[in-house]
Amino acid sequence: MEILYVLIPVSVLLVLAILAVLGWAIHSGQFEDIDQEALRILQAGDQNSQDNVERHQK
Amino acid sequence: MTSASPLVAPAPPASPALQAPLPPLPELSPAQAAGLDDPDLLAQCVVDIPLGSSLRRIGLGLSGMYCAACAITIEDALLQVPGVREVQVQATSQRARILVDPAQVSLSAMVSAVQRVGYRAWPDAAARAGHERLRERRVLVWRLSVAAFCMMQVMMIAVPQYVAGPREIPEDIWNLMNWANWVLSLPVLLFSCGPFFSGAWRAARQGRIAMDTPVAIGIAATFIVSTGVSFGAQDVFGHEAYYDSLTMFVTFLLAGRWLESRARERVTQSLEALCVRLPEAVERAVDNVPDADLGSVAVASVALSSLKHGDRVRVAVGQAFPADGLILLGQTEVDEALLTGESRAVPRAPGQTVVAGSLNLGAPVWMSVERLGPDTRYQQIVSLVHQAMTEKPGWMRSADRIAGPFLWGVLVLAAGGFVAWQWIDPARAVWVAVSVLVVTCPCALSLAAPSALLSAAGAMAKRGVLVRRLDALEALATVRQVYFDKTGTLTEGELSVVALVSGGASHRLQQPLPEAVAAQWQQAVSLASHSQHPLSRSVVQAARDAGQAVSPGQWLDVKELAGKGVEAQDAVGLTWRLGRSDWVLGFDEGGQDAADAPRVWLAAWRDGRCLPDSALGLRMDEVFRAEAMPAVQQLRALGCTASLLSGDHADRVHEAARHLGTDVAGAQSSPEDKLAVIAAAQHQGAHVAVVGDGINDAPVLAQADVSVALDQGAALAQSQADLIVLNGRLTGLPEAVLQSRRAMRIVRQNLAWAAVYNFSCIPLALMGLLPPWAAGLGMAASSLLVVLNSLRLGATPWKSSTS
Repeated sequence: MEILYVLIPVSVLLVLAILAVLGWAIHSGQFEDIDQEALRILQAGDQNSQDNVERHQK
Repeated sequence: MTSASPLVAPAPPASPALQAPLPPLPELSPAQAAGLDDPDLLAQCVVDIPLGSSLRRIGLGLSGMYCAACAITIEDALLQVPGVREVQVQATSQRARILVDPAQVSLSAMVSAVQRVGYRAWPDAAARAGHERLRERRVLVWRLSVAAFCMMQVMMIAVPQYVAGPREIPEDIWNLMNWANWVLSLPVLLFSCGPFFSGAWRAARQGRIAMDTPVAIGIAATFIVSTGVSFGAQDVFGHEAYYDSLTMFVTFLLAGRWLESRARERVTQSLEALCVRLPEAVERAVDNVPDADLGSVAVASVALSSLKHGDRVRVAVGQAFPADGLILLGQTEVDEALLTGESRAVPRAPGQTVVAGSLNLGAPVWMSVERLGPDTRYQQIVSLVHQAMTEKPGWMRSADRIAGPFLWGVLVLAAGGFVAWQWIDPARAVWVAVSVLVVTCPCALSLAAPSALLSAAGAMAKRGVLVRRLDALEALATVRQVYFDKTGTLTEGELSVVALVSGGASHRLQQPLPEAVAAQWQQAVSLASHSQHPLSRSVVQAARDAGQAVSPGQWLDVKELAGKGVEAQDAVGLTWRLGRSDWVLGFDEGGQDAADAPRVWLAAWRDGRCLPDSALGLRMDEVFRAEAMPAVQQLRALGCTASLLSGDHADRVHEAARHLGTDVAGAQSSPEDKLAVIAAAQHQGAHVAVVGDGINDAPVLAQADVSVALDQGAALAQSQADLIVLNGRLTGLPEAVLQSRRAMRIVRQNLAWAAVYNFSCIPLALMGLLPPWAAGLGMAASSLLVVLNSLRLGATPWKSSTS
């Protein structure tokens, strides 16, 4: 039972942390356009993926 | 001129709403770039200044996007521009928000970067308003999320407290749980409940009581009692903490508000569609060339605010016209639906007028700027709409007065419930009082009428009927008597030939004419076809309407004499005159004042003398609007009597009434007579609507229960009517009556529902059958139901106006 002395405060802190993350997400517009981000990976000419391919071929 | 112009392109196959990839765009010219790099323009686009940084967030408008992936292409292109730090493109709203370093960046570089990948961009000077709305929306979602997350966690901790038997949980753990819940409730109380407390506080400072007051008291009471229980004052407050009830009903209330605001946004969107923004930047001709050569002239992109009267501007396909003006070059079709309710695209050729805010659909054209900014019809309409939306109707103010005592009653009931339950079951006294406070919040009652009326006004604005006072809708729904104040409201303002007078006999044009008269009529028509005078044109039009061919005839030496008429010689050497009676007949025929006197005469002259036998009088009358007849019939189908109440000549009024099938309530009436007629009808209990032109008939319009103005000109802003039917589209009137009746039906449904809800829930709450969370749920659901019911007004299609 003693573990509850830790767990209950931890659960409270966890909720507050989750709320902070959610707040950031809402205010930085993460929920404004849901479709667009899924398409980003299909975009041609992505510099990073190009680099990865080259590195792999060496 | 126009067919050879390079500007005239074939009409695009689809409307610009179906976004197809745009053709490659030309590079910006140096002049356009210079116009865009105006530092003022950049400053106008700033939406946000990040704290402690020299960077600025600016807004760009975009067009040509047809899928979500376009947004990424544009983002990539903009990120290549020097000085751009961060880009967010929203495909749904076709807007970009860009974090830039104002010292390095130039608008022209950004615009041309977007144009190079095939889209169009313009500086979005109105971005700040949109940014504010976005922030409000985000804060509401944030409040709701805080409340919802905290509620979940509070529930998690409260459940063991409910299910555990007495003394099953050790005292210290029990207290720890209460403290944890207290901490979790704090953000809900301090942040999520902000709107309730601020609403109640605002009202309290003015010595009033508002919708939010009972809710705020309920929240505060629950929190104070629970805090006392948690921190050792249990002998005062009992043993029950109410954190779960508190967080739960706050969550439900906020969820209701959120859904309600989303629903309301749909209404404001339809009104904002009316306020479709004018382009921010326009292409102005640089050189002073003749109009016909505009096709090859250099253009500079300038901000709308720097446009001046007399400028010549190129308007691309899909763009809105920036000002009222005349088409100079090019033929196109324009969509004026938002301004006039006319849903078809209207053709426009050089010399014809276009109005600001209408969309260019056909081909790129050049226009000259005649009226700008606040003088345009567009701006007048937008400000009228804003006025109607912000003005609080009279009965709404009285509803607020009734709400005061009602809310006091709620407070008394809650206090009474609290005291009564001290004897029944002291542990549940707070619970019952809070339930009563929350469940009776008269939100649904207060939303019942305004939500329905706003929704109806939004739907009507889309069809070209503007509501200036929301009160008027209520009166309009009960109107049984419609007076047309002027014959002019039913006519086009153009004249047409109705009958021919020859040798003292009158022949109607629609009936077969005697041979001699028919020959004379042919002469008149062919002579008239040589003149551009409005009366001549209506003579030719009358012949065409009667199905007769118009031949130019064998005329020699055609002369048009200003203020008199047309004169020409026929093959046998007779001189024929068509025009005013004193000039054609050689004497004043007299009786000009009589309504049925011929306006135009035709006669042959020989040796300076008129031949009386050849004289033909053309009796003209006004043409009735095409919609006048259907409008009157539709009004009758709705149970309204339409009557003419006019100051015109009695014959004309009776003729018009016979033609339209209306009654005549008065002819040759002075304004006093009209007032008396209206007052008499009102005395008999009829609600009266008066249709006028809205300018010269102010007292008559003021006497009526509802005044309707037919807007036919620029003097829209002076009009004091309750309803304005744009562009004189008369069938808008029966549509408005129908819509207002449906609006009032929905208001009654809403009121009935809200009353039933409140009166059935108060006893339940007082009997202790309704826990606070259920009260919160019920209240939010009842408000939402009312709003959704009102939205049906905007969604249901209108009866077709053309039938």
